[in-house]
Amino acid sequence: MAAQHSIQLPADDIRAVWQSAGLSNGVLGGLRSAALDEFLHAGLPGTRNESWKYTNIKRLADELTDYLQYKAPAEPDGSAALDLPDAIHLTFVDGVFSPERSDQKGLPDNVKLTSLADLAEAEPATLQSLFGRLARTHDSALVALNTAFAGNGVALVIADGTTLARPVCITYRSSQANAAAQPRLLVSLGQGSKATVVEHFCSAHPVFVNPVAELHCAADSSLDYYKLQAEHAETWHTAVQYIAAENNARIRTTHVDYGGALARNELKLALKGRGAHAESRGLFMADGTRHVEARLDVRHEAPDTTSRERYRGILAGRARGVFNGRIYVGQDAQKTAAELTNRNLLLSKGAEINTKPELEIYADDVKCAHGSTTGQLDATSLFYLLSRGVDKPTARNMLITAFAAELLTDISVPIIAELARNALESLQADTGGIRT
Amino acid sequence: MIIDISNLHASVNGTEIIKGLNLQIGPGEVHAIMGPNGSGKSTLAQTLAGKSDYEVTAGTVTYKGADLLALEADERARAGLFLGFQYPVEIPGVSNVYMLKAALNARRKAKGLAEIDSVEFMRFVREKAKLMQLDQSFLSRGVNEGFSGGEKKRNEIFQMAVLEPDLAILDETDSGLDIDALKVVANGVNAQRDGERAFLLITHYQRLLDYIKPDYVHVLANGRIVRSGTHELALELEANGYDGVLAAAG
Ligand SMILES: Nc1ncnc2c1ncn2[C@@H]1O[C@H](COP(=O)(O)OP(=O)(O)OP(=O)(O)O)[C@@H](O)[C@H]1O
Ligand SMILES: [Mg+2]
Repeated sequence: MAAQHSIQLPADDIRAVWQSAGLSNGVLGGLRSAALDEFLHAGLPGTRNESWKYTNIKRLADELTDYLQYKAPAEPDGSAALDLPDAIHLTFVDGVFSPERSDQKGLPDNVKLTSLADLAEAEPATLQSLFGRLARTHDSALVALNTAFAGNGVALVIADGTTLARPVCITYRSSQANAAAQPRLLVSLGQGSKATVVEHFCSAHPVFVNPVAELHCAADSSLDYYKLQAEHAETWHTAVQYIAAENNARIRTTHVDYGGALARNELKLALKGRGAHAESRGLFMADGTRHVEARLDVRHEAPDTTSRERYRGILAGRARGVFNGRIYVGQDAQKTAAELTNRNLLLSKGAEINTKPELEIYADDVKCAHGSTTGQLDATSLFYLLSRGVDKPTARNMLITAFAAELLTDISVPIIAELARNALESLQADTGGIRT
Repeated sequence: MIIDISNLHASVNGTEIIKGLNLQIGPGEVHAIMGPNGSGKSTLAQTLAGKSDYEVTAGTVTYKGADLLALEADERARAGLFLGFQYPVEIPGVSNVYMLKAALNARRKAKGLAEIDSVEFMRFVREKAKLMQLDQSFLSRGVNEGFSGGEKKRNEIFQMAVLEPDLAILDETDSGLDIDALKVVANGVNAQRDGERAFLLITHYQRLLDYIKPDYVHVLANGRIVRSGTHELALELEANGYDGVLAAAG
């Protein structure tokens, strides 16, 4: 089939599925309904669409109606929450918040953690102000899809000046095959507040997971955000996070991706206030015939904003990686400093990476740099280790781990680095057409 | 005989660099190889260590009675061959001790010994680091990462001391060392001499040989050993240069 700009969908079928799921009701009913129209009008993006050039979701489109068919969440399978004893643990099953599997007690007074359904009852105005505050349905058909089908999500609102010392860890689990999960997370950090948020995606079934997170960080606040994507090997995962930083807010994001059949993550970070700062790092890896994709859109919209983005990819087998990083510096964002790097390691002859770091600069007094490199394991380093008597698989593993370890230092949630290391070791076992 | 190299020919990218080299080293012996830049000294060392870029096109190398050329680089190391690199490689993210522990345990396994206990390993490694006057902090740093030129060379000898090889090939370990460091390195080598362990020292400077007394000195030129002698030969080279010696060799 020829490349197309968008993939047309069986609109009537999907609309019927949507109606039978009762999504038109409640405070969000109107929003959902508009988003559904927008989604059906747009269709799913085809490979003619520039930002989907390397990402073919035709097969997902073919099966979309089945995925979207309402299926009540049951008992989830597979891996449980991350081993984070101090954390406030929240659980979603099939994209829907599961209060009975979540800690909701013992939160500080100034921290509000509520399901969107409860918030709709108690404070509909708050819900309306948070939902869609940053996420735009016309940004992407998948954001529209998430909005149209969003079930019960979660809102975390932290009052001004409050430090939430315990990390909030959200585990996204699955209970059945062929379900579509459309989780929505809304986070609002008040002025001068601090929080650590961990999103852990670990479906145990072949499912379609299409999460949207909106995190707003008010002036002087500080957010440490982690996302770990360790989905079932046949899962479709297409995630978008929107993060906005006001004056002097400090953002740090860490993405680790190693699961799924096709896993695409888009981070949209807007430095809206003077002096806002963001550090983003990402480690993505894939083997077999998987597709992994990291997209980054950092907007410097105010003066004196700084950002540093470091992404590393490791591809084995016949896997394909895509990195697309864009730094946009608006006209008013004088004295911006930004540095974007992407380094990739190809472990086999069949592995592939398409990388595109971009700068788009409209201010004149800025310091921006970007670069990307792709290579194999360094033959000289490998020989050095071999010459010490270390066997080849171990030596390769040391070098691969080292490549990732340089990125994963200073992690406040060490279990993530540990899981990444384990994933690297299994990647290592994928020896199809090894490169030395 | 520890190693017996006979009529060795080796090429890189189709260019022959080693052109029929013969050398025998017996147990406990120290041999020095000197020779002009580009004569093939490092090529010889790396070929013996098993670097895959170097293709052996003719000749044999018998190491402790077995065919060395049939072994992979890591197998050679586990069989007790050690190469001290002319240009030690920096490997950020892999700590010195981590690499050494893996290397030592691999070597012990090959010898039929159990893995070394962690506490015992650290004690052993600290003692060797002290001998090489390497600060303890170097143990946890990435392999050679940010080390000065001299520190890298000391780190090579430190690794040799930990791995206790049967044959150590030291490629210009003395280059770039200050006078004190040269003594430290020489002491490190001398401490390893036990009448069994053999050494092949590649050097440009006769001064190293004042500290580590060689049994034989060879001159390598254009891929062949063109002259062999005793320590006297090194002194003669120092006095007359390669031109004089090579002319005399005809
Ligand atoms: N990988 C390679 N590719 C091409 N040429 C090479 C390669 N390795 C070595 N050579 C060539 O082989 C020759 C011998 O090099 P080698 O490094 O063995 O010299 P050397 O005797 O150790 O010199 P030096 O005293 O400068 O260390 C040189 O001409 C060098 O350029
Ligand atoms: Mg050399």
